[in-house]
Amino acid sequence: MTVDRVRRVLASRPGLLMAPALVIALALVPALRPGDITLLNLGFFTLLYVAQGVSWNILGGFAGYVSFGYAAFYGLGAYTTALLWIAGWHPVLTYPVAGLVAAAFSLVVGVPTLRLSGPYFSIATIGVGEAMRILMLNLDRITGGASGLNLPTAVPSKAWFYEAALVFAAVAFAAAAWVRGSRFGLGLSALRLDQEAAESLGVRTALFKNLAHVLSAFLVGACGGLFATYFQYVHPDTDFSFTESISLVLICLIGGLGTLWGPVVGAVIFFAVQNYLQTSYPNLYLLVYGVLLILVLLFEPRGLAGLAARLRGRGSAAPRLPAPAGAPPDGAEGAE
Amino acid sequence: MFTAQNLISIGIAALLTAGLYAAMSYGLALIYGVMKVINLSNAGFLMLGAFMTLVYSDAWHLDPMLGAVVNLPVFFLAGWLLYTLLVRRVMAALPIASLLLLFAVWLVLQNVALLIWGSDDHSIITAYTYKAVEILGFRVPLTRLLVFAFALGALGVLHVVLGRTYLGKALRATVQDPQAAVLAGIDTERISALAFGLGTALAAFAGGLLTLLFSFTPAFGTDLQLKSFTIIVLGGLESFTGVMVGAAIVSFAESYAVLFMRASLQNVLSYALLVVALVVMPGGVAQLWTRHRS
Repeated sequence: MTVDRVRRVLASRPGLLMAPALVIALALVPALRPGDITLLNLGFFTLLYVAQGVSWNILGGFAGYVSFGYAAFYGLGAYTTALLWIAGWHPVLTYPVAGLVAAAFSLVVGVPTLRLSGPYFSIATIGVGEAMRILMLNLDRITGGASGLNLPTAVPSKAWFYEAALVFAAVAFAAAAWVRGSRFGLGLSALRLDQEAAESLGVRTALFKNLAHVLSAFLVGACGGLFATYFQYVHPDTDFSFTESISLVLICLIGGLGTLWGPVVGAVIFFAVQNYLQTSYPNLYLLVYGVLLILVLLFEPRGLAGLAARLRGRGSAAPRLPAPAGAPPDGAEGAE
Repeated sequence: MFTAQNLISIGIAALLTAGLYAAMSYGLALIYGVMKVINLSNAGFLMLGAFMTLVYSDAWHLDPMLGAVVNLPVFFLAGWLLYTLLVRRVMAALPIASLLLLFAVWLVLQNVALLIWGSDDHSIITAYTYKAVEILGFRVPLTRLLVFAFALGALGVLHVVLGRTYLGKALRATVQDPQAAVLAGIDTERISALAFGLGTALAAFAGGLLTLLFSFTPAFGTDLQLKSFTIIVLGGLESFTGVMVGAAIVSFAESYAVLFMRASLQNVLSYALLVVALVVMPGGVAQLWTRHRS
């Protein structure tokens, strides 16, 4: 890639420069506030959510296939790391394997279910996610069942975990940014808007959807692995929980489905709301998020990212969810 | 384990459960049929129906079965409002928008219930909860019989009403062909609100009946929600008979599965059935039949 091309890409998307600057700034936090364990913990969780939200968005946002089953990938990643760690592996080496196991499973799920149209895919993923949780609870020889598995206690410092989560978030963001700018991303975008039209133009929709699924499952699986080392304990109900799955959906929808920065903003707000409310009302954050989601769907389908763009007076990008303005209300039906 | 006695009594239990399953799933099929919307909030109203029945029972000592009947008008109104205020506004968007909106409604219902009733198990014990009757030499819990009779009764009444009245015919016409229905002068907006009201009322009715059989929490319903989807997918998504057949398949499959696998894996079976049904026979069991004949 020539210097000229880099300059042109940056000129067309000034936001891309912001990301590396932000990563460098965030990487300095542990050095500046070394003893602040609370801050590092908050940072770890926020960044882990950023990484997962951004990854989920590759399939759910770019391709429009909303999955309620990502806890399966997260949990498989967590358990892969847990079992390899117990077997004596170095935790860092287990993360790519955790990602690969999740990616392999995403193929098993995706190849049949991604043939379904969007809403049916969503329903099927709820089934897959819950089925995995129950299966894992029952495979107690391997997973420890309802008592979970305790993991080695020798773990790196909180600062190390913070930096690791930052690396994961940065990698996920870079992957999403690359997808969005590539022909692959254009293909995903095309099939989101009209699958048949995209296919007739030569987009290999089945391949693209599965690639997006595999890529995001890999990243979320690795995140599950990182979380397992941090938490030093794995349990089917925590790692495969439906709440984990819907967190990712909520992060992306509230932040801005299909946008690059939406999941980042969404994750920060999600964890802030959750953390603020968790002590007094452990489940109220989901209520707040449900209400926010309703408001977003009714008034600003591009989420907070769309709202920000509108406030800056640049609401020019096409809305993500509704039919293009001016299209007949039954346009979606006509396409069936 | 495999004695005839045992097999028959499992069969009776499965048949009785199927009635309840049909009642809780028919609302989904009705809403899907009229407006092609997948109502993810169904489980939320099922749960809320159960809690409202508890409220009536605590406040006025109202029997759960009567409570379920009281739920019908209350939740018809709730469903009507939900459609008119929220769902209608996203109907023009891609189908996933309505799914997500109703998912958000489910989340709100669940967490509001958590705030009000906490996460403890609740249950309603009536004078006849532990009674049983003898049918052909098999002891059958009275509650199961009553729930079965009430569920089928409600579905029967609804079926007749939808078949005989103008609104019912308009509703069925909209299911068959929305555009032709508009051309024939049917106010499909109103029909959609009606379907949403009926669907929600049925979910809350089933929720009220469930209190006779199970304890419940605000989180209750996810597994039943998925079962309902399995049932309507197996039934071809929008037909009345289809829902009955789907409910019977799911109920019998999971009841007899206990003979071969751990009871805790029962739900995995119906989820697997859901995915298989969605992937292999999007037209339901009827599709297999017609394909076989052609």
